[in-house]
Amino acid sequence: MAGCAKPMNSQLPVAAGIGLRSPHVSHVLATRPSVAWFEVHSENYFADGGPALVALERVRADYPLSLHGVGMSLGSTDPLDVAHVAKLRRLADRIAPACISEHLCWSSVGGRHFNDLLPLPYTREALDHICARVGRVQEMLGRAIAVENVSSYFAFPESTLEEAAFVAAVAQRTGCKLLVDVNNIFVNAHNHGVDAEGYLAAIPPAAVAEVHLAGFSRSGSCLIDTHGAPVAAEVWTLYERALARFGPVPTLIEWDTDIPEFAVLQREAATAQSCLEGCHAVAA
Amino acid sequence: MLSLRESQTRFAATLLGSADAMDAPDERLAVYVSTVRANYRHALAATYPVVRQLVGVPFFEAAVDTYVMAVPSTGGDLNVYGDRFGEFLAGYSHARDLAYLPDVARVEWAVDEANRAADACGTPESLLAALAAVPAANVPAQRFVLDPSCRLVATEHPVFRIWQVHQPGFDGDATVQFGTGTDRLLVRRENGVVVIERVVHGDFALLRALDDGHDLAHALDAAVAADPAFDLGAALRTHIANRTLVGLRNE
Repeated sequence: MAGCAKPMNSQLPVAAGIGLRSPHVSHVLATRPSVAWFEVHSENYFADGGPALVALERVRADYPLSLHGVGMSLGSTDPLDVAHVAKLRRLADRIAPACISEHLCWSSVGGRHFNDLLPLPYTREALDHICARVGRVQEMLGRAIAVENVSSYFAFPESTLEEAAFVAAVAQRTGCKLLVDVNNIFVNAHNHGVDAEGYLAAIPPAAVAEVHLAGFSRSGSCLIDTHGAPVAAEVWTLYERALARFGPVPTLIEWDTDIPEFAVLQREAATAQSCLEGCHAVAA
Repeated sequence: MLSLRESQTRFAATLLGSADAMDAPDERLAVYVSTVRANYRHALAATYPVVRQLVGVPFFEAAVDTYVMAVPSTGGDLNVYGDRFGEFLAGYSHARDLAYLPDVARVEWAVDEANRAADACGTPESLLAALAAVPAANVPAQRFVLDPSCRLVATEHPVFRIWQVHQPGFDGDATVQFGTGTDRLLVRRENGVVVIERVVHGDFALLRALDDGHDLAHALDAAVAADPAFDLGAALRTHIANRTLVGLRNE
């Protein structure tokens, strides 16, 4: 089937998936574990060829797959990196992912990249700017993308909008979907003294295509979105509130630093799955 | 109110520790400074595992921090950042006594590139058939295509041996003899796995000339200059059979 369009697996299942990182790829290919879907970082497969891309195609043959970008610098005031978007398009054409997502952030200015997810000031100007960029990327990719709220440790004094209102407006104005990272909402609510439930209430449920869950760590008064720990109890609670508002949505367990054995990720995914099933039961 | 451009420029200046930074120097901004630094340390550790073992983690991370300031990232794909680390190490004063270190880095970068290179689309059979179709008088003017994963590294240090004894799982005698001649290395992907091999000077000169786009006649001159006993037929048979040479350029 290599190289063929894949009509199957064209949508993310409403179930718990796992962020697939390189230490686990060979395990997944060898054992084909029961996982509803996988998500990978898009840039890790921007290569022209080679073994990583071949492995991803083999994963894709058996599982629905989502491409999650970490480097597009959507909110930057530098020109959009069209070569970067073209590489994403090439990968999407090859893999036929169920979903493509990016972050509501910036990473570069003045030609210099910081390769990190930096926060935006939540202003009308920033909203206009990122909406134009999301629109341009959706045109170049020929499909809607999902955009994710990022964690932040710093709030710009020039912000005039609530973050949740900003995120919601991007979806309303561009027709893009939202990837709601519940851990990031929890982290930001703590770091900036914002009400997490109020944040969820501002998100339009119909726009939500996916939810992310991950672990944070603490540094002084600040919570840091390290993706290096189990999902915290408070975040599971907030996740259940999110499901009560959005209904069941594809949910991903992310773990990017101090990556544990695969079984640990499967246990986290099983917990998310039981939340989703509980939510189905309430809806039914 | 600051424009978005101004906000981003000042935030960037803060990350770089420059004088036009924002006046909010609290622990919150320090989180960004340290996460950005950690991202690069992590990325280059993945690309340069042998350099990291050779110098130790604290030295390696200090070198990466300096490199990032000297050669900033300009793209959103961290997998392709770090191409000039070998060149940087050659001029890094703290590494002055480690003459072999820049070349170890060059080999690790070659391995990294070989892993990401396009897949080849020729076979020994297709190349031999194409060559057979060339009139004898035109053979010297032929230009060859190398497998896209091929990288050629010349070094005056025993870099192959250094690389070999620092691979995961190596449990043999880890002695490295310095001053044992020069390495001419061919790095390439074979059945999806990157391999490094030593090649003789004549073959190396031939492959480098062909890789630079020279025709066979010029490549032969270079090979004979490197090794007067160079055997063109044997070299071509070897490097066609092992899929280093994969096609002829159509001009």
